[in-house]
Amino acid sequence: MPEGILPIERDLLRFKEIVRGEVKKRVREFLTREELFGQVEGRLVSIPLPQLEIPKIVHGEPLGEGLGLGGPGEEALGPGGHIPVAELELEEFLDLVGEALRLPRLVPKGTGEVTEEAFRHTTIARKGPRGLRHVRRTLKESLKRALQSGEYRPEDPLLVPEREDLRYKAPRRKPIPHAQAVVLFALDVSGSMREEELRLVKTLSFWITLWIKRHFPRLERRYLLHDAEAWEVPEEEFFKAREGGGTRISSALLLAEEILKAYPEAFYNRYLYHFSDGENWQGDTPLALEALKRLLPSLALYGYAQVEGPYGQGHFLEEVREALGGREGVALAAVRGRGDLPVALRRLLGG
Amino acid sequence: MERELAHWVERLRERAEAEGLSFPPVAFQEVGPEEMAMLAAYGGFPRRYPHWRWGSEYLRYRETYRYGLARIYELVVNTVPVQAYLLRGNTLLAQKVVIAHVYAHADFFQNNLAFKPIPKDMLAEMAHHAAYVERAMERHGARSVEEFLDLALSLENLIDPHAPYIQRPAQKEEEAPKRLPVRPYLDPYVNPPPAFPKEAEEGASPEPLPPRPTRDILGFLAQYAPLAPWQKGILEIVREESLYFAPQAATKILNEGWATYWHTKLLLPLLTPEEALEFAEMQANLLAPHGLNPYRLGYHLLKEVEERWDKGRFGPEYEALPLGERLRYERPTGEGRKKLFQVRTVYTDLNFLEEFLTPEFALRWGLFSLEDLPRFAEAKKALLFRLTNLGYPIVELVDANYQNRGELLLAHAYEGVELDLRKTKAVLENLHRLWGRPVHLKTVVGGKETLLSAP
Repeated sequence: MPEGILPIERDLLRFKEIVRGEVKKRVREFLTREELFGQVEGRLVSIPLPQLEIPKIVHGEPLGEGLGLGGPGEEALGPGGHIPVAELELEEFLDLVGEALRLPRLVPKGTGEVTEEAFRHTTIARKGPRGLRHVRRTLKESLKRALQSGEYRPEDPLLVPEREDLRYKAPRRKPIPHAQAVVLFALDVSGSMREEELRLVKTLSFWITLWIKRHFPRLERRYLLHDAEAWEVPEEEFFKAREGGGTRISSALLLAEEILKAYPEAFYNRYLYHFSDGENWQGDTPLALEALKRLLPSLALYGYAQVEGPYGQGHFLEEVREALGGREGVALAAVRGRGDLPVALRRLLGG
Repeated sequence: MERELAHWVERLRERAEAEGLSFPPVAFQEVGPEEMAMLAAYGGFPRRYPHWRWGSEYLRYRETYRYGLARIYELVVNTVPVQAYLLRGNTLLAQKVVIAHVYAHADFFQNNLAFKPIPKDMLAEMAHHAAYVERAMERHGARSVEEFLDLALSLENLIDPHAPYIQRPAQKEEEAPKRLPVRPYLDPYVNPPPAFPKEAEEGASPEPLPPRPTRDILGFLAQYAPLAPWQKGILEIVREESLYFAPQAATKILNEGWATYWHTKLLLPLLTPEEALEFAEMQANLLAPHGLNPYRLGYHLLKEVEERWDKGRFGPEYEALPLGERLRYERPTGEGRKKLFQVRTVYTDLNFLEEFLTPEFALRWGLFSLEDLPRFAEAKKALLFRLTNLGYPIVELVDANYQNRGELLLAHAYEGVELDLRKTKAVLENLHRLWGRPVHLKTVVGGKETLLSAP
């Protein structure tokens, strides 16, 4: 069989196309699938595809299993007896989710600080190994020569490259700038965040992290909690349910300001996300808004999500909207339940 | 192909023939892992009609190979000449094992009765099918052909695997009505499907449709469903290909056992001491006891048959002995080899296991302990049930004019195991789309006789 593109690639492309369509159709369902949440660093996402199963009349229970003569774990004897699951690269999956939810592309403020030298085959040379032969450039040279020498006949445009036409990809040391980012999540634990609200926060912060990481491969993450005071926690403690005292939203913003000092704005795209039920101590809101105004110019985005529980609701969202609404880099969202997630996610990413 | 490999292809062929195997020419070809994955997805053929499920299978084979989870050493295709693909990069010993294995498969394809009615030029057949579907896609749109294929494939197990054996009375010559070429959506109007007998005519044509219940539901639909010609063509293709693969599924245990028996027999005397260890390792992997390993069960059962017939452990005298004495009985006849060839010719998995999977064998191979022995009959029955009709429920088309309304009535031959309702309903919906009128299936749900209907 000749090397090169196999005829089955056609079927593979079609299969992938169907899978992609399926992901986009069911993106809202994926948004809350918690088994994905471990996968920030993972490579593959498994997607069960009930729609892609060709149904057949089959027996309802597995036959003759567990009786000694051939147990379970065995593939069906008939053709096609396995569960239809497709696996997608995380990046590809994320792009599909982004497309379906119309998530905005994040644009680095600067090119970022880090530059790394890397070999890239970006130039063209006249000599080189066969494997690096640049077909298009070679043919272009060939065409040029044919045109110049008058050998080229449009009705029979066959090009035979000669030695002098051959072009090769050649390496060049190239400094590659890496845009980098830091994202800081702050969570209000002053009491009214319950299991369900925490789950919404977890979902949002998971997708926010993934989406930022999609644009800034060098992403650092920091987490802080606050009630009347704010303190930093490791990621795995961030989502544990707990009860706190009163609320001072300003405490979180002040601590954020402190933490972010380690990430100068000239070198980092700085993202700050804040989840709260919006209830704040009287008198604290002006302080919080002041801190926010100070911080804002140095941030790529300040995202505030007011997660509202069944009992009452706070006013911080309105207060921020009044004071800063419309300012660039301020993203606000109210989340009352799972149904709000797609829109909230888009808003929080600046869309 | 490498010279060394070509040498072994020759040498092992001679050995196989000297032992009594007989097979058509075998064309060996080395392929890389990606091509192997493609061929496996295509059922061994280099070309199949376009469909996403091959792509999905291909991806699965390719990825499992990439992650080192599984590797396909060889593929053998039942055509003439027999096509055999070897995985490039295998060790020489592995290739030798595979070559010997392939010759035994080729012998099995040629001699086992289940393969007798199977066309031998399937390579060309499959390519024709591919061309047919591609042309249909050009004419009627890739998406609508794909949708129809999805539908047809959901019926691919509704065949009568015995259909190729059935002798039919010569069909009454009937002049086919002339078809006018029109766009597919007009076809049912311009070229109406054969009319059902009207009530008034019933007395005149007492022949019901189908004349007797049939399992060849795909064949029936291809003939009578109100479909465009290209759609009927696709149903025929799906049916042909199902019929082609059916004997392979029906003889998996026997065929793999046979090939394993022979590669062992042919190669053992030729191994160098260095190779012996590698061979032992390969063999141990191949015969590992996981689930129903067809290699393991088939191989040991064939060895058992050979030994029993060598030692005369058969016949009424032997059968009359109690279990303990049977294990010690001996009446040397040396008929083992002869019996093996007979088994290879006339059995399929179902009757092979029915006849030779004995309590003695189960005890000997640790499939059962002595305490479990009372459950042996039950377990064997379950296993045989699973091999019956390739593990699929037996479904017959009983009436295509059910209640005189042109509706389909199917019946499931219920034998104590109920159907997967979700999938069955989806298939009935597909059948309804195809037939254009309600479709019913008689089966048992929750222990009660039930008529499932779509819509």
